[in-house]
Amino acid sequence: MTSAEPAPGRPAGPPVATATGLCKQYPGVRALDSVEFTIHSGEVRALLGRNGAGKSTLIRLLSGVETPDAGEVVIGGEPLGDGGVRRAAELGVATVYQELSLVPEMTVAENLFLNEWPRRGAAGIDYPRMRREAAEVLGELEVPVDPGALVGTLPLAEQQLIEIARAVRRRPRLLILDEPTSALAAEETHTVLSAVRRIADSGVAVIYVSHRLDEIRQVAGSVTVVRDGQVIDTVDVRDATTPQIVALMLGTTVQEAAALEPRTVDRTRTPLLSVRGLKLPPKLHGVDFDLYAGEVLGIGGLLGSGRSELLRAIAGFEPRAERVIEVDGARVARPTAAAMKKLGLGMTPEDRKGAGIVPMLGVGENMVMSWFGGVSRRGSISPALAERAGRDLVERLSVKTPRLSTPIVNLSGGNQQKAVIGRWLHARSRILLLDEPTRGVDVEAKQQIYRLVRELAGNGAAVVFVSGELEELPLVCDRVVTLQQGRIHREFTAPDITLDNIMAATMAVEV
Amino acid sequence: MSSTTLTHKPGGSSAKGTTTSRQLLHLNELGLLAAIVVLYIALSASAGGFLDTQNQLGILRDAASVGIPALGVTLVIIAGEIDISIGPAVAFASVIFAKGASEWHLGIAGALALTLVAGIAWGAFAGWLRARFAVPSFIATLGLWSALGGLALYATDALPVPLPASSFIDSLGGKFLGVPTPAVVFIVLFFVFWYLARRTAYGRSVYATGGNAAAAQLAGIPIRRIRVTLFATTGVLAALTGILLAARLGSGNGGAAAGLEFDVIAAVVIGGTALAGGRGSLIGTMLGVIFISVIANGLVLLGVNPFLQNVVRGVIIVAAVLANVIIGRRGNATRVS
Repeated sequence: MTSAEPAPGRPAGPPVATATGLCKQYPGVRALDSVEFTIHSGEVRALLGRNGAGKSTLIRLLSGVETPDAGEVVIGGEPLGDGGVRRAAELGVATVYQELSLVPEMTVAENLFLNEWPRRGAAGIDYPRMRREAAEVLGELEVPVDPGALVGTLPLAEQQLIEIARAVRRRPRLLILDEPTSALAAEETHTVLSAVRRIADSGVAVIYVSHRLDEIRQVAGSVTVVRDGQVIDTVDVRDATTPQIVALMLGTTVQEAAALEPRTVDRTRTPLLSVRGLKLPPKLHGVDFDLYAGEVLGIGGLLGSGRSELLRAIAGFEPRAERVIEVDGARVARPTAAAMKKLGLGMTPEDRKGAGIVPMLGVGENMVMSWFGGVSRRGSISPALAERAGRDLVERLSVKTPRLSTPIVNLSGGNQQKAVIGRWLHARSRILLLDEPTRGVDVEAKQQIYRLVRELAGNGAAVVFVSGELEELPLVCDRVVTLQQGRIHREFTAPDITLDNIMAATMAVEV
Repeated sequence: MSSTTLTHKPGGSSAKGTTTSRQLLHLNELGLLAAIVVLYIALSASAGGFLDTQNQLGILRDAASVGIPALGVTLVIIAGEIDISIGPAVAFASVIFAKGASEWHLGIAGALALTLVAGIAWGAFAGWLRARFAVPSFIATLGLWSALGGLALYATDALPVPLPASSFIDSLGGKFLGVPTPAVVFIVLFFVFWYLARRTAYGRSVYATGGNAAAAQLAGIPIRRIRVTLFATTGVLAALTGILLAARLGSGNGGAAAGLEFDVIAAVVIGGTALAGGRGSLIGTMLGVIFISVIANGLVLLGVNPFLQNVVRGVIIVAAVLANVIIGRRGNATRVS
């Protein structure tokens, strides 16, 4: 793919960071188990692994956010010890996290020098110097942004580059990038990727965390795969095929355990939901699909492909969206959120914590809040009805909770998710749009959610299952469409829903 | 994470309803109750006449003027909003009521209706600014605070507007079965609001909106309508308070109830309602109202210099809230942030 590039995968210089025998234990979890890791100057190393595999823990230990229980981190020949983030920064470690930490109301230059503004006099800031140095850093990375521009007015990709530039300005030896492109549309990523290459070419060691294999192939020389707190292998990206890498990530056991029992879906009837010409620039440019009763339709696509926007637009939460929606063959004149809910559509958001749960309220109440009418008598909520409804749902979904009134925030992610899905069962929804329902959920809970989704469809519901973890689509879906560059790109039905097919379809992105 | 924080009550494992709380009083409310008991003991020992029936009824009447608007403000704060317009709103309402009953010849009933409708209108307007245009409720009600206060003084030249003689007004300002009428109104409304908050879709939607507005919206809760209703409610409660105040004073006063909004917000927050929204109770507010009313009364009886009284009240309010925060933090020790 990148044959003209200097040979990747080979140590380009002396080791910059070495970790030996790293162990880290969290209550109930062995997050890292005797991990060995070395990265050299000028190298871009991808770090790959499923959620909870130990990537984040490794990054936290390397950047001094946490100290290992056993083992040692050495940066540039100096042990990190328990010096924390400050010591790590002194030794030349810079980390860019997934969430942007820029101040939108300040200029690019001010952000690059946040709290390290060059001084003039007793309290003044040397603006000309700040601007000059900012321009220098941006020039090095070939980021065509005016240092005087307000960060909030820039597109997301450029904001991400500013974030990276801020780290680079400190002249790090080791730069850790945690999913720097996850929020970007596919077209926007290549500017970030080329900036990363340029940084590595200047001799910096870069750890690049991403789930996008196509990006990893473009930017990294080798990839270290982490699973269950251990480093499974480090392979040259050119020598490893996608299925090989996926196999390293997944192991074998989990996937075999949950093969899908085939089921026929009658697609000759009128679709329960039909979407035509859904447009929501800049992400979506005309999406069409039909959804039938009794089926689980998977929508695959990378983060930033517009998956969430698609669901929100169907559910009526994107007033700017252009679309024609039919439910049971009848066109919905004004598909507002209230109208769609009334027609039996329910959506669970990707951001469970931010937009799914009401943290302080009880589990039961978090479920019945979609339809208080269902637990009311003559306009008043009946505690007895509310309890019965809550109990039924808790049982049906096997939500593990000490009691119905336990604040939902005290539950595990998987149980929270089940409750959020339960909300729409309570509202008697027939069409369920589930956005990343298994994100941040442990393996067992994932299996339960898959089973639940299958069951709901078996009982006649129509489910849209959106996931960026493509490997789970074959486990739940009767049909899968892939979303790319704002359109439905490919479609696969039952026997052809394989990880290889889906991966190939989503990753075939021209950059 | 599958924590069992709240299972410390042995034998309480049978989930007891979704909408009723597990125990009648929470830790902070118990603390507040204890503080009130301590205050009573201390004041009855030190302040002469504190326990007299007349004085106790006086406390109750004062509590009502803080308490009636505090019921609405509790819901507003639970929803993650704030309403700081109470004082001037009460004053302006007392002026409308008095003018309506005298100068505008609307009759008592007409003046009463006009005042309540006006309260609903300005409250709903502030709520609409919040809901429709995302004007922060602090700003919307700050505007109201200034405008209503100004209108009240402008309309009266800062002179009292006398109410006509009427037995109905006398009974509003007087007693009902030996209890000051405002206190009776407060207690009745307390139960209404307690029920509203606990047992109605509206009340629970208020909690959901304050706890996580995005989630509430995705669940189909009409958060705009709720926000408008919340402020319309505080508007009408302020209007009612203004009517009761005018009845007691025999006149509408443009400068009345100055600073009442601070007592109201203090009572709500002392009662354990989180300014960040999502958490709070009307029982807590009731206790908070009693707490600050008793303190105010005690300081007067003790003959503390009026200027110093403000200092003492300020310190006590902050200390009470601090205690609440500390207790609240302990209660949520295992909460995943």
